[in-house]
Amino acid sequence: MHIDWFVFLCQIVNLLLLLWLLKKFLYGRIIQAMDAREAKIAATFEEAEKAREAARAAEDQYGERLRRLEAEYEAMMNRAREEAEIRRKEMLDLARAEVDKLQARWIETIRSERDAFLQELRRMAGTQIYAITRRVLKDLADVDLEKRIVEILMERIETMDEAERRKFRDSIAEGGPVIVQSAFDIPPDEQRKLDEAIHRHIAGGAEVVFERTDDVMTGYELKSDGHKIAWSIKDYVDSLEEKFYHALYEEAQEKR
Amino acid sequence: MEIVAIDQISPDQVILFAWGFVRINATLVYTWLIMGLLVIGSIAITGNLSTERTLSRWQNLLEVIVGTIRSEIREIAHEGTDTYFPFIATLFLFILFSNLFTFIPGYVAPTSSLTTTAAMAIMVFIAVPMYGIAKNGILEYLKEYFRPTFIFFPFHVMGEFSRTLALAVRLFGNLMSHEKVIAILLAVTPLFFPVVMQALGLLIGIIQAYIFAILAMVYIASATQTHEEAGHKPKKDTEAVKIQ
Repeated sequence: MHIDWFVFLCQIVNLLLLLWLLKKFLYGRIIQAMDAREAKIAATFEEAEKAREAARAAEDQYGERLRRLEAEYEAMMNRAREEAEIRRKEMLDLARAEVDKLQARWIETIRSERDAFLQELRRMAGTQIYAITRRVLKDLADVDLEKRIVEILMERIETMDEAERRKFRDSIAEGGPVIVQSAFDIPPDEQRKLDEAIHRHIAGGAEVVFERTDDVMTGYELKSDGHKIAWSIKDYVDSLEEKFYHALYEEAQEKR
Repeated sequence: MEIVAIDQISPDQVILFAWGFVRINATLVYTWLIMGLLVIGSIAITGNLSTERTLSRWQNLLEVIVGTIRSEIREIAHEGTDTYFPFIATLFLFILFSNLFTFIPGYVAPTSSLTTTAAMAIMVFIAVPMYGIAKNGILEYLKEYFRPTFIFFPFHVMGEFSRTLALAVRLFGNLMSHEKVIAILLAVTPLFFPVVMQALGLLIGIIQAYIFAILAMVYIASATQTHEEAGHKPKKDTEAVKIQ
């Protein structure tokens, strides 16, 4: 267990030589490579950090933009909803007005048709009632309707109270004629009798004018400047018309 | 040629060539073998080093070794890592690879020769004041021998010599005793048991390489850090003493 001094020196030289060789071929190169890679990795991390910062900034920016767009979208939607609601109301009002107008027009048409119908009914009913009455009277009592009407008129003139008679006289005194209006032609005999009765009971010197009207409802009318005595089948027809109207109305209600 | 005979416990004893004063023994041959291996290996690996993120396995292994040594040095010295690194790393790598190949039959680690370990210890013995003087100047370095008082001067000198001796003998003793044990076991129980001891020997070899390198670094650090840490001993020194 001794020390060989030659080997001892050789080993020192060897180790120094090894140190130099390793320094040349190993340490320098490997440390350089490690440092270079560390620097590269650090640079990569730095770049990644920068990219992340940029991405975060972009994300914030886009997030802000998105929020703004959403707010705008919401506002636009609200505005559109409000406008649509207003428009809907307007259109509803228009439609309602149109419907109301149509309904009014329709009601007016119905009403005018109804009036025309009732008018026609009234006319026809009047004519028929007049004709039937005449016929019934002729067949059952051998009485002439027109003649009977004239008689009733004459009775009315004769039984007229003094106040009414005065009114007639006053109006005749102002110069107006006495007009006898009838739905039929009064025969000349009857005309004469009437003329006499008027002169005797109402006005002595008054002019009496006989007129024919197409309206069968009229019956007769004795009038002088605002005062008149009349008989008409109008009341009968009115009653019929009323009943007919009610019958029609009820039927329409049932159908509805 | 029987390299590891009981009476030939050191490769120094195996003379391969002698011419006067010049005697080439197994220690030198194996030393050159390890040196050649290290240098060729280094050249082969560092020939195409990659600075990219992907790297070869060998480069990765080398970087792990170099990185570990550097971090160990940095922990002890705190500064000037790259100044001490080549010396410490060379000692470590040489001892490590010398010890690792002991599993090859016929191979005898040059570190099991007292001549080699003494040479390395002397190198550390010289390197310590060199680094100390280079760092702090000769005056400051010498002042350290008289701290805390001049009475401590002989103890410091004795310490220097004794730790150098300890360095040399510790490594030599561990390796030599291990080889001696293996040789005896081979003679007594040639099957199985020597294999376990060989495995244990690898572990011992690695630990011894680490201890030698760390102690060398601690000695250098204690010499270079005297000025800054005057008044109290470096922490790592205490730890290193425990390792001994």
